[in-house]
Amino acid sequence: MSAALVIARRDLLAVVRSRSQLYSSMLTPILFLVFLGNGVSHGLEPANLPDGNFTAYLVAGAVVMTSVFSSTFSSASYYRDRDSGVLRLLLSAPVHPRVLLLGKSLAALAIGVVQAMAVLLLAAPFVDFEWQYGLVAGLFVSLAAVVLVNLMLTGLAQALASRIQTMQGFHLLMNLALFPLLFFSGAFFPIDGLPAWLRVLAFVNPLTYAVDALELAVYASGDATFIGLGVDFAVLAVLAAGTYLVGLARTPKLTYSGA
Amino acid sequence: MSNIVLRGSLWDTGSVPPYAVRASNITRGYGGRKALDGFSLDVPAAGVFGLLGPNGSGKSTFIAMLAATEPPETGSLEILGGPPSRALRRRLATVFQENTADPLMRAGEYLRFSGRVFGVASSELSTRIPELLERFGLGDRAADPVSSLSGGMRRRLEVARALLHRPELLLLDEPTTGIDAEERAILWETLRSSADAVTILLATNDLSEADAVCDSVAFIQGGRVVASGSPAQLKAGLRRESVRIAWPTASEGELAEVAGWPGTGEVARDGDIVVVTTDEASTFVPRLFALAPGAVRSVTIATASLEDAYFQHVQRRTGEAAR
Repeated sequence: MSAALVIARRDLLAVVRSRSQLYSSMLTPILFLVFLGNGVSHGLEPANLPDGNFTAYLVAGAVVMTSVFSSTFSSASYYRDRDSGVLRLLLSAPVHPRVLLLGKSLAALAIGVVQAMAVLLLAAPFVDFEWQYGLVAGLFVSLAAVVLVNLMLTGLAQALASRIQTMQGFHLLMNLALFPLLFFSGAFFPIDGLPAWLRVLAFVNPLTYAVDALELAVYASGDATFIGLGVDFAVLAVLAAGTYLVGLARTPKLTYSGA
Repeated sequence: MSNIVLRGSLWDTGSVPPYAVRASNITRGYGGRKALDGFSLDVPAAGVFGLLGPNGSGKSTFIAMLAATEPPETGSLEILGGPPSRALRRRLATVFQENTADPLMRAGEYLRFSGRVFGVASSELSTRIPELLERFGLGDRAADPVSSLSGGMRRRLEVARALLHRPELLLLDEPTTGIDAEERAILWETLRSSADAVTILLATNDLSEADAVCDSVAFIQGGRVVASGSPAQLKAGLRRESVRIAWPTASEGELAEVAGWPGTGEVARDGDIVVVTTDEASTFVPRLFALAPGAVRSVTIATASLEDAYFQHVQRRTGEAAR
């Protein structure tokens, strides 16, 4: 465990020193909130939203989007380690390769959670949140949802990174898989009024449950048009545990021509 | 041959088995190609053992197999007296052909990170890191980013990193590739003064480096050992000296007579120059002057090197390279 924490600490340090990664994961969702949220709010009928105010509605989506970006960037460190040779050193160390993956995923999880919560906290003073469960409970529910969605995304990203040879291929596949999921998650518009076939897509989409939990925690004034926290957390917990274990399943090996 | 004695140890490793590595008839394949094919080698404990061979001969594969403490597909492998196991890695260290230092880290941070991953206590690292950095001429660079270090400094940092956890077997895969002669000398000198009782297994393409630092070497080709022994033993099988004679008037009869002298090997003519290999130039040369007084303009004597022994055992694959 000590080795995993040492590896996690090093990955965190690398992110802090790689400023572009640090800022870009958060900047895109914030710009998205400022421009898309304000712009569309003027042309949208507030009555179509569960509790009016499109910008406030978008915050949950922006938080999930931050988690998506963050897990993608963090898991790409696998390629940086491989190309810089660090992976070879780690694979010759007296620790199981799974400890190495655990350390890297802990760092990715920590970065994702901090960045996603930072977006939520930065947005909070500028939008009208309902905090229907109270501020503290709302933040706690948000944090739990953010941890689970980041655990799930980190596991997914790590599972893909261990199977895809190039970083370009990895980014392509992550974008291909996650952007459509974001669109049908309720991140940009409520799923309540969607056609039946789109609602089916939304309900099989794991990100839907993270967005729903966050909307309930910060934006909604009631539970009527939402899935509900019980279902949200049950689905997120199962998927997070499953994908995280899949992410740790395939371990890299030391070879003569590269790790 | 250089007889390396490693002095001034930073640690004691206690009793060591007679062989650091024993490999017998090992096979290892990659993508349908056999990188190691019937590879057998005994590496005595302590001293410097060189693995010499052309690119793709299997040197790095063998080093990586030891570094990963991976059992072979066939054959048997013993490392430090036991079968390969992950626990053994605490007793090994590897300096890979490529740097493994994270360019985003500082030199001292990188050593601390590596030390912790190899299980060295944090308190011990606090004294050991400055000590090793100082030894390797990097004492004032601990806070500098790895990316700001020169190629030679990075290689020294890699070797310092490898010594952090006091390994008994140090695997060096072409550790001096890409660094200048001065840096190379500094690195070997520091290594010699820092690694007493450690077995060093060096994979290299640099024959003069191997001749200078290795107690024993093995020539590898096509994934197997084709010859091994001390550089002196390997050179002993050759005519020890090559005599280059400026002798424009040498006749075929004179050259035939020279070729018949005891201890004389090949006799070849290239224009005005005659090249003769011989066991003993000190008796050959006076005899030459007696045979052709006034006709020999100059004589140059070269001692047989490890390179000569290497090329006798390892066939150049020029045809393959040309394709």
